[in-house]
Amino acid sequence: LPTGFLVAGILLQLALGKILTPKQKGWLAFIASLAALAGVLTQLPGILHGAAVQSAVFLWDQNVPLQYRLDGLSLVFALMATGIGSAILFYCIDYMAHEPSGVTRFYMFILTFIAGLVNLVYSANLLLVYLSWEVIGLCSYFLVGFWYKETAAANGARKVLIMTHLPGYGLLAAILLLYHQTGTFLWTDPSIHAAFTTGIFLLMLVAAMAKSVIFPLHTWIPEAMNAPTPVSALLHSACYVKAGVYLIARMYSLGVWPHSWNVVVLALGCATMLVGALFALTQTDLKRLLAFSTISQLGYIITGLGLGTNLGLAAGLFYCLSHGLFKGTLFLCAGAVQHSTGTRDMRRLGGLAARMPNTARIWLVAACAIVGVPLTNGFVAKWLLLDAALEANQAVVVVIAWLVSVFTAFYMLKATVSTFYGETPAWLQDRPVHDADSSMLAGMGVLGALCVLFGLAPQLLMQPVVAPAVESLGFQWQVSLSWLGVQTSSAGIHVTLGAGIVILAALIGALVFAATRSQAKGSAVPAAVMPAMGTPAAAAGSMAAMTLTPAGAAHPSAARSVGVFGGGDPLPAQAGVTVEDFAALAETSFTPIYRVTDPDRVYMPLWQGIYRLAGQVNRLLSPVCDRYPLLATLILALVVCVAVWLW
Amino acid sequence: MMNSILLETVSQTVNPSWDLLFTGAFVVLLVGVALYASAIPQGARRWWGLAALLGLLVIGGQVVGAGTARMLLLDAAAFVAVAMVWTEDNPQAKAAARSYLALLVVSVICLGVGLTLAENASAAPAFPIDKLIVALVVIGFGLKLALVPFYFWLPGLAEYARPMTTALIVSVVDIAAFGELAHLRAAAPWVFTDYAALWLTLALLSMFGGALLALAQRNLKRMLAYSTIDDMGYLLLGVLVGSTVGMSGALLAALSHAFFKVLLFGAVGVAEYQSGQPLTLDSRGMASRYPVSAAVFIAGALGMIGVPPLFGFIGRWRLYLAGVEYGGASLALTMAAATGLALLYYVRAIHRVWLGHGNETLPAAAPDSAAPNTAAQPAEPRMAVVVMIALLVLMLAVGLFPGGLTGWLG
Repeated sequence: LPTGFLVAGILLQLALGKILTPKQKGWLAFIASLAALAGVLTQLPGILHGAAVQSAVFLWDQNVPLQYRLDGLSLVFALMATGIGSAILFYCIDYMAHEPSGVTRFYMFILTFIAGLVNLVYSANLLLVYLSWEVIGLCSYFLVGFWYKETAAANGARKVLIMTHLPGYGLLAAILLLYHQTGTFLWTDPSIHAAFTTGIFLLMLVAAMAKSVIFPLHTWIPEAMNAPTPVSALLHSACYVKAGVYLIARMYSLGVWPHSWNVVVLALGCATMLVGALFALTQTDLKRLLAFSTISQLGYIITGLGLGTNLGLAAGLFYCLSHGLFKGTLFLCAGAVQHSTGTRDMRRLGGLAARMPNTARIWLVAACAIVGVPLTNGFVAKWLLLDAALEANQAVVVVIAWLVSVFTAFYMLKATVSTFYGETPAWLQDRPVHDADSSMLAGMGVLGALCVLFGLAPQLLMQPVVAPAVESLGFQWQVSLSWLGVQTSSAGIHVTLGAGIVILAALIGALVFAATRSQAKGSAVPAAVMPAMGTPAAAAGSMAAMTLTPAGAAHPSAARSVGVFGGGDPLPAQAGVTVEDFAALAETSFTPIYRVTDPDRVYMPLWQGIYRLAGQVNRLLSPVCDRYPLLATLILALVVCVAVWLW
Repeated sequence: MMNSILLETVSQTVNPSWDLLFTGAFVVLLVGVALYASAIPQGARRWWGLAALLGLLVIGGQVVGAGTARMLLLDAAAFVAVAMVWTEDNPQAKAAARSYLALLVVSVICLGVGLTLAENASAAPAFPIDKLIVALVVIGFGLKLALVPFYFWLPGLAEYARPMTTALIVSVVDIAAFGELAHLRAAAPWVFTDYAALWLTLALLSMFGGALLALAQRNLKRMLAYSTIDDMGYLLLGVLVGSTVGMSGALLAALSHAFFKVLLFGAVGVAEYQSGQPLTLDSRGMASRYPVSAAVFIAGALGMIGVPPLFGFIGRWRLYLAGVEYGGASLALTMAAATGLALLYYVRAIHRVWLGHGNETLPAAAPDSAAPNTAAQPAEPRMAVVVMIALLVLMLAVGLFPGGLTGWLG
């Protein structure tokens, strides 16, 4: 049903493309996606308590049935694709309204993208899983390269295609090996369990790593940032990177994991969250920063899945849903900023909270969520993950996750302050910067509101959605989560205590802020900041920002900087830290790590080596081919004759 | 006697549905080429006459059924193809035609002698006849299908002949010849099974050699020629494996090869005709001027490497499965690595030539191209666009819903 609605939307876009205005096309796409979401929701009752709905549609290929199986895990991802996809499409109505060309193409690919993910997670046939896998890969290629006349966009699309399609052969090889051993493409077939070996697991894992930007196959995603922002949002939050997460989770259905597999996934998850966060620290481009943060956050999700426990899977899946919400919101806000100012370079931004107050509010909510501020879904997700790691005696994971949380807070603070606070740069002062249009605000506002809703009442998501998903993978549901994410089971008591400390720290911070603010006498806090404090979550998240004292207007260098709270006497105004300073500090501090953890340093020589080899082969053979084809052929024929003779 | 071998082949593996399918596909392609050529001239009246004759010979060969008559008709079609290249007005094309003719003669002689010996021998002939047969068959089909190391006639021909002439050769003449190889696989399996390593080496050499050489090309049509060589390696592997999945994979992949090559040469042909210059890696931003051709080229490239949901995937996954059957995961991954190289050269062409910023100025159209002024961003000829889109939609439809076709083939 959901796929049917989406396909109908695609066909209508194609049929009415020449008649409809860009806005009407946007509405049409939104309605199709909303209908698909409704279709997914109608299937919710059928999959509660680990049940599944199966249906064989028709023979897709010779002996290859198109067979669907909807269980809890499928539903999580289908909900994400259609739900977050609908919000993003609503945002698109205004965002794409003034696009001069290619709007039909844009909406067709977006709908195909969503349909591809839904089909992927619904399919019980692994060959069709691969087909859907590649369909979403192609959609991302065409959408990242939407503005194909721009070299940067085209190059980004190229990297997406190369780096995700090639590892995808791992998935195909794994599927064919399974088929070769079992005679079936259906992952629901019990014979699959015995054939699911380490080799097949690793082949699938490689494919999943590339899709889900797991280190070291993550370097394509920052280059994909020249796409329209809704595409980035969809890529990062709902559809693309989550396909790999789905595959890793689904591998629990294919067979019992030995401990070593969990260790591999955990190691990859931890490395990914660390590398992503470290690279995010150095970014000065807002969307690139968010891209690296996606890498880091995917590390968290994979780590949760890698724990391989009831709580770990629950944490991973809840984190996955939460990430979809807050990352979607952040990208849409970044898009609104770029739409309004024409840039996403944080070195050229600042003070936008005064002119884009609603966007700033929504951004703050999502920023709080990604940092893990209590009252947001991000807090619950991180809390669950740390709890799961503690329960599994994975102290290293806990330490790394905690450290990365600190880095996350740093880079999100940098992004928030550089973009929305401080003084407005001179070049921006005369520009007609305005807040996002209504559909854009609604699209990102809904996602932001859900971040708060599922932070306040995570049980709304846990019981009906996450629990069936965990059960569908053969695990018992043992998580008792209440309001604000408070765990009512004894296992989570130590984490609850930790959370109490965090909240206490937040309160102390608020007091410090209040004291600093009263001393600053009006110049300390930009007037525009105040409207952005609309929600408690926003207040908590922006607290750190509020403690910062903007540099005095008397200093020209302060135009792009913000003062720092020095822990005592006010620092001289010249001590303002700019985005460049921050990036330079991170680069200086972590240079050896950046050198070691940048896999592009390996990929580039690899490509150059292949290209050189091709050139050498060509130089060797071209003269023969062009000048002496007959002679060369006769000699080679003689060689073949000799080879056959000696056989 | 030759007739009986090939008839036996039909009854054993390649059922009449396959012949019917290939005949239908050739008819569609010939009609498509003709309509395209009506919009973008490929030659004078003589070209049309030769193209029609080539089409009649190939269709005739399909209709008469497997046997000596078909072999003779297909050989005649290949000689007509030589004439089509020879009659072009540039000396490089004539040189390419000479090479093609010389190597075609060698191929026909080798295959004629080899298959006759095979026919007169027992099921598995004794030494040294068996070795002679195998050597002659390898050389003969190697030359006809442009396998590495016998491909020398193809790159020059593709570069200098008109796009639709090349398309007819690689999509119709070559693919029909490949059908004959598939028939031979069932009729004389020992030729393949007893010398499997030799055939496998040829297949892998073609895959990797073709891909590497394609990666080194600057001229797009020349690159497409090498991609044909690359693709022939996969088809040969399917035939070598010889199982149901291997054979059906090879035949389906051969069909998709035929269609996608017409699309690729068609897209390049439009851009060359309109811009009046050969398409090389120095050309830039062609998608801005010729968006449909760019889309067709991209789709054709993806179809060639077997990316779903295009028809290319339907044959390709069977070939990978055949690889798994024959050589396990290592052979499948080797094939995937060769496909990775193919992806690299296609993506390079797409991004260097079609996407990104365009050249500010283009030289005037070639005097013989009769193209409108290029400076004003001429539209793509409508009929050529219609043909390319129709073929592309067909490839997408069959790729999305292959069950009807593969179910009918059985």
